[in-house]
Order: sequence, then structure tokens, then C-alpha cells
Amino acid sequence: MSRKVGIDFGTSNSGVAIYDGQQVRVLPVDPKNIQPEVIKTVLYITKEYRAYLGQEAAEAYYRDNVNRQRRFVKQWAGEIDYRGADLHYVRDIYVYVDELKPGRLLQYLKTALRKAGYRGTQIFERHYSAGDLAKTYLSLLKARAESALGETIDAVTLGRPVKFSESAEQDKRAEETLRQAASEAGFKTIDFELEPIAAALYYERSISKPQNVVIFDFGGGTLDIAVMRLGDSKNRKVYASGGVDIAGSDFDRAIIEKRMLPHFGLGRVKHHPEILEMIHAVSDWMALPELGTPINKATLEKAIQAKIAPVRLKALKELIYNDLAFTFYNRVEAGKIDLSKEGATVINMEDKNISLWELYARHQFEMDISHYLVEVEKVLLDTLEKSGLEVAQVDAVVKTGGSSNIPLFTNMLVRLFGKEKVKESNAMSSVVGGLAIKARM
Amino acid sequence: MSFASKIDEWMKEVEARPESAVAIVRLVVRRLRELSEQNEALLAENIALENQTRVEEYRKRIAHLEYQLEMFKRRFRMDDSTLAALPDEAEDSTLNLLIYNAQGKILRIELDSETKEVGNLSDKMMMEQEPPRLLSVPSNETLLLLFTSGRVETYLASEIPARASGSQWNWEDATTLNEPHAGETLACIVPFSHLPLADFFLQISRRGFTKKALASISDSILHNHFLGRGAVHKSDQPFTMALSNKNDVAAFVTYEGRVTAFDVEDLPYTTDERIKLSATDYVIGAFLLPKNSALLCVTQNGKVIHRESASVEIPKSSASKGQSLIPATKLEQGVRFMGAVAVKDSDRIAVLDAVGRIAIDDAQTMLGNGSIPAEGWVLSIGLIQADVKKRGA
Repeated sequence: MSRKVGIDFGTSNSGVAIYDGQQVRVLPVDPKNIQPEVIKTVLYITKEYRAYLGQEAAEAYYRDNVNRQRRFVKQWAGEIDYRGADLHYVRDIYVYVDELKPGRLLQYLKTALRKAGYRGTQIFERHYSAGDLAKTYLSLLKARAESALGETIDAVTLGRPVKFSESAEQDKRAEETLRQAASEAGFKTIDFELEPIAAALYYERSISKPQNVVIFDFGGGTLDIAVMRLGDSKNRKVYASGGVDIAGSDFDRAIIEKRMLPHFGLGRVKHHPEILEMIHAVSDWMALPELGTPINKATLEKAIQAKIAPVRLKALKELIYNDLAFTFYNRVEAGKIDLSKEGATVINMEDKNISLWELYARHQFEMDISHYLVEVEKVLLDTLEKSGLEVAQVDAVVKTGGSSNIPLFTNMLVRLFGKEKVKESNAMSSVVGGLAIKARM
Repeated sequence: MSFASKIDEWMKEVEARPESAVAIVRLVVRRLRELSEQNEALLAENIALENQTRVEEYRKRIAHLEYQLEMFKRRFRMDDSTLAALPDEAEDSTLNLLIYNAQGKILRIELDSETKEVGNLSDKMMMEQEPPRLLSVPSNETLLLLFTSGRVETYLASEIPARASGSQWNWEDATTLNEPHAGETLACIVPFSHLPLADFFLQISRRGFTKKALASISDSILHNHFLGRGAVHKSDQPFTMALSNKNDVAAFVTYEGRVTAFDVEDLPYTTDERIKLSATDYVIGAFLLPKNSALLCVTQNGKVIHRESASVEIPKSSASKGQSLIPATKLEQGVRFMGAVAVKDSDRIAVLDAVGRIAIDDAQTMLGNGSIPAEGWVLSIGLIQADVKKRGA
């Protein structure tokens, strides 16, 4: 017997759930995680092309990479054809490749789907497109779910954001890529549901009479909003939906840019564009791992010798050359999550020559992301306007997704709709639960 | 962003949510404590830098590393013939005989390959109930002094003024490199320069206890000037120490004629009893026992007893009493061993007798005669290995 499941392929976390008509069961697909029903959307691919996901990926990455030896070799990467008015020449391009690199850790796989210019990535001898990465992740996730369930799975309802991209063409392409990836991962029947609508289906089980509901699904990659009529399964209605590319990963980047970069030399290094470029790359999770070249190392060592912000540049060097980026991003994210509960937290990292300590108060965080608040409020009100409903006609605002717990946004919802209307759904499992309900329909 | 601006931002957080004040204060206090500990560690480091302790430490480390490098060069790039072809270095080193007593007084006598009569020691022989001990070393050797408290000190042999052979000395002519502290005596002096090639420190106590320590911790031992007593009972005390390797076999011989051998690798790192001794017995000779060597033991009246190294048994149990080399009848007559060494045919033996005469004879001759020429009771013997000068050079 085979099953149909709901899969939430999230930017930061994913999950798999089934619905038996009575109850939603979120499957424990990551037994090594503190919360086994939630699996991090990270993939680690080794040199032998063995792939790991979730907590296992993080552990394999740490085991293989921290304190490892490196050996850079110059490799021919292609050639550039220069054509001018009266000259034409071809120049070889070389890149430095760490031939001892044991594997690659990949995060934000879903973001890769919606990035227009993303052509994929080279992992050792193979090229992986965004679809290949998604396929690898989904096939492993499917195997985990089958193992947890004890049955084969051949059908899936996949969640998708309201908008993968502002461009309709890119949006369509992203969905098709995800469908193809799911198909190659072994799913025979694939359908999609908007994530906020899935969250609405999950919420619907808790209400006894029809309501006008605003779903505010604010996760790691996007904000998705749906305005719906819920409570009567025969007369469900989607009044409007909307979304924007703002979410948890943007807040992490804002924290790094505003609070962390000074620890790596920003503000102290001047007139050294190549070093400033490295410092600014710290906030870019895709660029940071690529900085570890011998040329950059020599540049940093020269600057340290010349006493240009030596302590901070030494920290930058250690961050780049000890594969500490993943740890660093995790610390920043943990600090951000803390601020949803506490008024202040410390983002710290004591490793190698990095001695980073930043007391970070909620007030500072709110200042750092305040420009996002304006955008989020605008998208919310625009979607509400599109639905034709007035604020007073909304019976409940259901918030879900990790970023929906940030007090700045909760307060915004309370300010717009009133405290009694703002409801909290299970931040991590309402979308996947709703997808499982949809899968059974 | 300046620190003052950060504080302003924290204050704004407190104004907006007064309950955050507790969290901020707690986090700042925790950080202050961490910084205070770090500061203390840095101040201690500063003091070490200012008073040259750190400099001295690094100098010692550099010297040790240079020595190791030199040893490795010799070990891997030069064989004996190449080494012998280096006249400059070979000439720098001479063969010396050290005569030392329990009070730490040391005489260094220069020898040559022909020396038979070393000289006379005309002074009190027994100090702290111990006879003087003899040790042959090259003049460029490093010496480790082990005291009965477990304390160790290292010196160069060349720091002891050299005396010509054929003279008469007393203990006032001797040098005290490091005076024993209250309650301790000098247990032994050990050639130390081949430390980089050794795997273990092997200690043997008077009552037949052994203790093994990894040579890799030598930095810590030398830095702390402490190796340990290697003895369990209060009445026991260290007798000697040897630098050994994994495949070595060590042996010791007792006053009442018992001998036992053991594989160094099989020894535990704790202090372990290797032989059951009678209440009046104690170790008088302990050494590594190479293959194809002979065990040479000397009684107080100059009789030589020898055994091939292969015939010395390695008992399976540490509760063994060892092999007996003195027949029971002779034992009853009061025959006892005064010294024992592992020799090869080309080695020589220095003998100190009760009248203070120190003479040297070939081991082969001694083994052939079955006795050594001594004018009085034999007090002590010392091995002069045929290749000792080359090794030290």
C-alpha cells in the first residue's frame, strides 16, 4: 500500500505529515534533531557524492571540515574571449580549488529555485542545478518518511509560496523545477498547494463556525498571506493571496550587516577594496565559502602584518579558513530567535582566534529590521484590500512560521486587528499539517 | 558604531521594556566576569614576559629542539663510519669517568683508551651508608641528576671541572652541581642526551619496584624538575633511572644475588613490584640488557660471576623471587654482590675498592680470570662501553 503525504519544503526547515481523516501526524523524519518532526533544509554532499540531510548533514559537515587540512591547486576553469574594435584575444581563466575539500554544505535550497540568475553549482566533478539539489533533498526526505511510516510513498502535496518570484515567468519556472525534482525523487503523483492556504486548512479544524481569516505565514524565505473564508468545507473561499520575499534569512543578514561586520573589520579597514569586499561577503551565505582562496589568505595575512585592524582581520581569516561560516550563521539565527522571547541576548562565538561578543537588545533588532516592517505592513494591507474585506470584517488573523513570532510583527498585527483576533497556530507544523489534509482531499 | 551608541540603544530597550534591564545586567555581568578572568591570565603572561621566565622557557625549548634535531640528523643521515669520519666533532669530546657520592659531590676524571690506573680517592668512602658510584660519559654529555625525593636537575658534564687521571683526590676536590635538599640524597646520575631517541623513562627502586613514564612528557618533567620517586614504601628510595625503548629488556641484580629481567613494554605506567625480596636484600645493579651481552656481577671480594643475557629468565609473574646467582652455601658464608653490569667483550670495567684505588680492566679479561684485581673489598664498579665516546660525540 502506498500513501500520499504533505511535504513542506521550507527555506529553513522542512517536514512531512499524513492525515487519516481525524488526526494530522507529523512524521519524525530527523531523529537526531531535538524536535524530530522538523528537519533543517540543509544538504551535505561528500566528495564521493554521498548525500546527508538535516542534523546528520550538519554533523557530517562539522566532522569532516572543522580543523581540516587544505591544499589549493590551480585549475583551468575556462577562457574569456576578448573582442575590441581592433583586437581580439583569448585568455585562460584559472580558479584555485581546495583538492582536500571533503564535501559541500548547501543551505537555502528553496531560495535557489526562485533566484532568476541561479544556474546551479559545481560540486566536485558534477554540476548540480537548483532542480538537482531539490531532487537530492526530496528523495532522501522521501526515504526518511517511508522509513518512519513503514509504507511506500508515491504521491505528494507540496507546499509552495504564494509567489516564488515577482516575475510570473520565474514563478512558473520555479514550480515546474520543483515538480520535476519531486518526480525524479520518485513521487508519481504531485500537486501543489499554497502554503498559507495549507496553514488555513490546519487552522480550520479548530473552529466551529465560518470565519473570515487572514493567514500570515512568515517563515525563513518568504512572507505569504491569504485572506479566506473558512469553517464550512463546502464553501471555502480564497478572497485574495499575496506575498513578498522577506523573511527570516533577511533578518539574519540585517543583523550580520549592522552588528557583526564591525567584528570582522568594517569601519576600521579603509582604502583596501579587496579586504572590504571580503568583509561584506560575510553576510552572503553563498559568497562566504568561496572566499577561501590562497590569494585572499595572502591579502589578509599581509594586512595583519601591516597592523591593519589585526585582531578583526585575524577573526575574518579564521572564519573563512576554518569553515566556521555555518556555525556563525547558526549563532546569529539563535540570537534572533532568542529575541522573540527575551529583551536582550548575546551573540557570541569563541573559536580559533575569533572572540565575538555582541549584546543585542530587542530594541536594536527592531531598529535594524524596521524598514522590513513597512514593507510587510504594506503587503498585508494590499492583500486585504484585494480581498474586498475591511479590517473589521476579519474574524481572525492566524500567524504561523518561525518569523511570525518576532514581537515587532506580532505587535503590528495586534495594532491593525486587535489583540483578541490574533491567533497563533503551530509555527512549525501548521503548514505541513495543512498540506497533509489537502493531500487527502 | 561606538560603544557609547550601543549603550544608548540598550538604555532605549530598557525604557521601552523595563523588564529587559535584568537580562541586560545579567549578560553584562557575565561578560565582565569572563573579561576579568582573561585579563588576569594576560597579566600573568605579562609578568612571565617581563621577568624573563617565558624567555628562559623558550630558550630551553629551543635548546631541546636543537638537540633533538642534531640527534635525528645523526640517526637518519649518518652511520657510524660517517660519524667517525668527523674529526672536528670527535676531537671535541673526551672520555670521562664520574665518581660521585650520595651527597652530590662529583669528580670528573679524564680517561683515554689506554688508562688502567685512574687514581686514588683518599677520603671517607661511605656517605649516607652508600659507596661512591662510577659512571663513564663523554665530556659533551648531558647529565640528569635524580634525587631520592624524585627531584631531577640537568647539567652538562663539562660544567664539572675535569681532573687528570693518575692523581689522588678527596671529596673537597669534587664539585657539587646541585646540593641535595634537606632529607634527600643523590640517587643517581644518568646520561641524558639520547632522550630524543628514547620512548620511556624507566625508574628502578632499591626494593625492586619499577615505574615507567613516557619520554614524550619530558618537557613537563624537566620544567617541573620532578620525575617522582618510583617507590611505594617510605623506606624505599630510587636507585637508578634509564632511558629505554619499547623493545628493550631491562634487568636488575640484588645484593643477595638475585637477578630478574623484564620487557620494558610490558611494564605498567604505575609503580610496580617486580621481585619479592627478603627484608635485608636490595638492588645493587640495574640496567638494560642488550642481546648478545653478558651479565657481569662482582662480589665484595672481587669474584666475578657472569651469565649470558639469553640465560636470564623473564618471569611471567611479578611475584617471582628471581634467579639466584650466589649458591646458598656461599650466601651463608657472607658472599654478596657489590655491583653488576651488562657487558660486551670490548667493554671495560672501572673498579673502586675500599682503599680508594680506582682501576680499569677489560671485561673480557675479567670474565676470563673470574676475578678482578682489587687491593681491598670491592665497593663499586662502573661500565665503560667501547662506543661511549662515539655515542656522545
